Amino acid sequence: MTKTNVVGQSVIGPDALEKVRGGKGFPVNVNLPGMLHAKLLRSPYAHARVLNIDTSEAEKLSGVKAVLVPGDVPQIKFCPVYFVPTMAPSMIQDMLVMSETVRYAGQPVAAVAATSPEIAEQALQLIDVDYEELEAVFDTDSAMQNGAPRLHEEAENNIAKNPVFEFGDLEAGFADADHIFEGTYKTQRAHTCYMEPRVCVVDSDVDGRLTVHSSMQHMFGLREKLAFVLDLPESMVNVIKPPYIGGGFGGKLDLGYIEPVAALLSLKTEKPVRIEQTRYEDFITTTRNPIEVYLKTGIKSDGTFTARYARSTLDCGAHATHGAEVIMVHGMFGILLPYRCVNQTWEGRTVYTNNMIGGGYRGYGSPQGAFAIESQIDEICEELGLDPIEFRLKNAHKEGDPHPFNPEFTLSTYRFEDCLRQAAARIDWGQRTPAGSATGTIKRGIGFGCQALWVSGCMGFPDIYEHSGAIIKLNPDGTANLSNATVDMGSGQNVTLCQIAAEELGLQADQVRMTYADTETVPFDAPSHASRVTYSAGTAVKAAAANVKKRLLEVAGVMLETTVDDLKVQDGHVCHQGSDRKLSIAEVVKRAESPFVQMTAEGPQPTTIGEKGTIIGVASMAPPSNPSPSSVEFVEIEVDTETGVVKVLKVVFAHDIGKVINPSAAQGQVEGGFQQGMGYALMENILFDDETGACLTADFLDYKMPTAVEMPPVIDSIFIESDEPTGPFGAKSLSEPCCTVPAPAIANAIYNAVGVRVRELPITPEKILAGLGKL
Amino acid sequence: MKKSVSFEVNGQHQELAVAPSETLLQVLRDQLRLVGAKRGCDSGGCGCCTVHVDGKAVYSCMTFARSLQNCKVTTIEGLTKKDELDPLQTAFVEQGAVQCGYCTCGMIMSAKEFLSKHEQPDEDQIRHAIAGNLCRCTGYHKIVRAIKIAGQTTDLAGE
Amino acid sequence: MSLASVKEYFAPDGTEKVLELLETYGDGALIVAGGSFVHGLDARDLLTGVEALIDIQNLGLGQITLEAAGLSIGATVTFSELRQDNEIQTATALGAVRDALNCPPLQIRNVATIGGNIAAACPYFDLPTALMSVDGVVQACGPDGTREIEMQAFFSSLFQNSLVAGEFVTGLLLPPLPGRSSSAFIKLETNANDLAIVNVAVRVSLDESGICQQARVVVGGGVAETPIRATAAETVLQGERMTDELLQSASAEVPSDLQPMSDHRASAAYRSAVAKTLTKRALARALARLD
Repeated sequence: MTKTNVVGQSVIGPDALEKVRGGKGFPVNVNLPGMLHAKLLRSPYAHARVLNIDTSEAEKLSGVKAVLVPGDVPQIKFCPVYFVPTMAPSMIQDMLVMSETVRYAGQPVAAVAATSPEIAEQALQLIDVDYEELEAVFDTDSAMQNGAPRLHEEAENNIAKNPVFEFGDLEAGFADADHIFEGTYKTQRAHTCYMEPRVCVVDSDVDGRLTVHSSMQHMFGLREKLAFVLDLPESMVNVIKPPYIGGGFGGKLDLGYIEPVAALLSLKTEKPVRIEQTRYEDFITTTRNPIEVYLKTGIKSDGTFTARYARSTLDCGAHATHGAEVIMVHGMFGILLPYRCVNQTWEGRTVYTNNMIGGGYRGYGSPQGAFAIESQIDEICEELGLDPIEFRLKNAHKEGDPHPFNPEFTLSTYRFEDCLRQAAARIDWGQRTPAGSATGTIKRGIGFGCQALWVSGCMGFPDIYEHSGAIIKLNPDGTANLSNATVDMGSGQNVTLCQIAAEELGLQADQVRMTYADTETVPFDAPSHASRVTYSAGTAVKAAAANVKKRLLEVAGVMLETTVDDLKVQDGHVCHQGSDRKLSIAEVVKRAESPFVQMTAEGPQPTTIGEKGTIIGVASMAPPSNPSPSSVEFVEIEVDTETGVVKVLKVVFAHDIGKVINPSAAQGQVEGGFQQGMGYALMENILFDDETGACLTADFLDYKMPTAVEMPPVIDSIFIESDEPTGPFGAKSLSEPCCTVPAPAIANAIYNAVGVRVRELPITPEKILAGLGKL
Repeated sequence: MKKSVSFEVNGQHQELAVAPSETLLQVLRDQLRLVGAKRGCDSGGCGCCTVHVDGKAVYSCMTFARSLQNCKVTTIEGLTKKDELDPLQTAFVEQGAVQCGYCTCGMIMSAKEFLSKHEQPDEDQIRHAIAGNLCRCTGYHKIVRAIKIAGQTTDLAGE
Repeated sequence: MSLASVKEYFAPDGTEKVLELLETYGDGALIVAGGSFVHGLDARDLLTGVEALIDIQNLGLGQITLEAAGLSIGATVTFSELRQDNEIQTATALGAVRDALNCPPLQIRNVATIGGNIAAACPYFDLPTALMSVDGVVQACGPDGTREIEMQAFFSSLFQNSLVAGEFVTGLLLPPLPGRSSSAFIKLETNANDLAIVNVAVRVSLDESGICQQARVVVGGGVAETPIRATAAETVLQGERMTDELLQSASAEVPSDLQPMSDHRASAAYRSAVAKTLTKRALARALARLD
């Protein structure tokens, strides 16, 4: 592995200092002169037609500046997902910014801009809407029945998408099996619970050009989608990159209603318009799609897979949105690819219902798959008396294998086995007792789960944006500024990307600073999503830095009257190899940017044309590959057999993420990923009234996620540092796998503790007590 | 009807016209442009808006501003004295306890009151002390560690 | 929070003024103190039509005094203040109150008041369950003067108390308890900042020989429209010596007195089952406090 100075250090960036003193850079703080505040009127009905909207009383209210109803809004069907082109064939354009057909409770039907949020809210109460209520359907089974209310004309039986992947000969595989296992595994709706609400401020110029501030994960996606739904050329929309946002986790990966509504209201009033969602609105804006997975698995007595069949049914709610893509990622990375099997068939169904729409959420279909696959493997091993570690290794890919997704590539680094063995040793796996054998009221258990293979981004998905870019500019004081379009939602790329640039340029980490960007000034970038930023944006940043370095050496070469080949950068200097002559980077930049005459000790010297100009480097490129990280997690838990309450005592994670750029930031990702995964496993669930479809968990009193008290006292993170040849300084990526494995790990540990197998998330105390036969 | 309320914010006297149902959070963010207290849920469920009233941590989103006559309010902006960070602020930065940072100010304000009353607290005490503050990025571990470290250096008499 | 209908905020400095305002605004008035549950009520549409908020923090109701009649707690005493009280911290008989006061997070304890917590008549709250186990008495003031109401009678149904028009809660009295009394409170919750799925408070008062003179088993958290006494369990304990078997059989009686709800937080069957377990554990905890 290359020796590094800045990469591999737990560098702390300037953001942290700013955030502990108030954090003024959050989009929620954007406040423009004359700014109006808008609110959305949302339908109480899950399925209805708007017959008439009377806004006359609202318009009379003092302070109200504009009202918007469906008739004012371009009726352009779109798909809100940021990371694919608007008209990508894999996605479904079935959404309108404001429609006269309501398909879920909470869908906006009108909006008001006023001088204060309170007045806007008051005005909403004065809008009179006549609805014709329609029959609604809230579960996928009913929605697929003949005669069920059809949500979208194009989707027969409400099936929005029905992908199938087939490999080998399934029937032959089952015929070859010694044992066949079947099971159905269900997951729920979970919210990413970013702490900063979705918020935007949209301003318009006299010529109708829009400037957009928003708490979102993709500035170019926002520009593209917003321009599309408003029928504007992209150059009429400029999205400003926020210095940082208050979390996202996939929940800010699509155009909301708020940005286009604010834009239209701004165009109407010629004022900046701000919309901040309430927590209730956030809860019904995006969710991890619930998926029901049926698995049928054929197996040899020695533990080799002979055939795997899976059918996944995804409830996408009122519009397909991410559901058209989540189902694919789920099928691939959740179900088919983590382990080897020659004969496999997977069928997916994305089904419309009158529930809230789905969204992106860390793992993007994988957590739903991992829960099913990793739970079933545990069941198989239990039934056949096989060692679950050896079982997984027998069926896992190996380093150097062709990449299962795209055989043009190989699994160049793949240290899954090391992850499994080291984590097992750390938790003392050998001491595990047989399932249900613990005595007493409180029983302990150990379990684990894996995301054996995870690939971010585009490989095999030609629709998905994957390219990244960067601009790096050197300053006369020897520091550098980096502009890159990925938004830091808390995962720390404002620091890690600077570390990569600093490493390449021979600077200290604090000499490179992440700076301003907007869609008019920096190269295109894919979103902050899919565990991709370190790898993809890191690759672009390193390339831009290499361009800077090239120019730096050229200028220094002129100054030192030597060839570039004899120069290298080190510790903020350009050094001549073979002598002790060196120049500080500051000196070189000053010389390059100086006017015609350069002052030196020997008096004024003329500068040549060739060395003039700012030292700047640009890169815009697609990354070379998509190497796979692996994630393994073991948990030790205890179950109170009289209440069903589960307490997680200890967690051991092992990851192969390639070179770790910033260990503290990586640890933080893992620990936070566990919090989300544990919440998903044990408590989180967005629930709706069966009759009306109204959200029952609209605030943190009812939507429960782990506080510091429920978290285990020990989370041990092991990083197996492979040296990925295609990654910047050997790095791969991290964020998502650590969030997909906690649910199966906890489910398997619960089984080990009390012998109860729960196949439906969240595993509430009630389900465990029922499993114990105590209800 | 708006009425005037006079109180102190970070040591400065304020006299502001306040509506009957206006909250302290609204006053801080909208009138005084002190944006350290964040709106995360507006219902006392997330803790991002935590500030001190007379030295006690409160959810500013559910504190009626009209109840603050003659009170002393301290926000995160009041914690840094002459550019010198509070030990909690330093510990949060150094321990990597700040990720997205949206919960950070509220978390620090809760910890601040807690540390003023508990010498060298253990981790379990700290976890309960911040039970009213949600974080979605960190898993709380580095936050707990930061508070513990700040607790070892904080002088109880100092506040 | 929005509270769109609110037009006035009053902070009167005398009881008479409060009574006048209550008369003027009638159902349009809401008494507030810490304000910590106002949003919860508002968000659940339980506050429609409130025009005037009446802040009672200037009435001098923030005192805690130990009198012959018992521990007298003013309505605007906060959870944090009551937690610091010597009697609450040390009295074995008040263990349940101590336990319940620890439940809310710091920011709520600092503002939530004892009076407000009782007056809200929320079955998912913790303190009322605990207070019922120690025979707390609610003190109220109204146009016809002051009166005392036993807690059990105070809660009439879901979010409904038995105050008449123009009355408000001024305080709480915790009377002396007989013999060697001990109480304990246990709550089942999903996370540490949660309303109770089920909570249980028990109190046993034993005579010199260890026989139970008086027992209270109170269950809250959606097991009925109000926290309720599990009298069948109390009867099992009454007059008996506290053996493990007795605690077990008393706990087994608890479900017979419940009319639990099924909602998105838990089913009725689960609430019943857990109430039994929590009762057994609370009794054990209360008895351990006597050792």
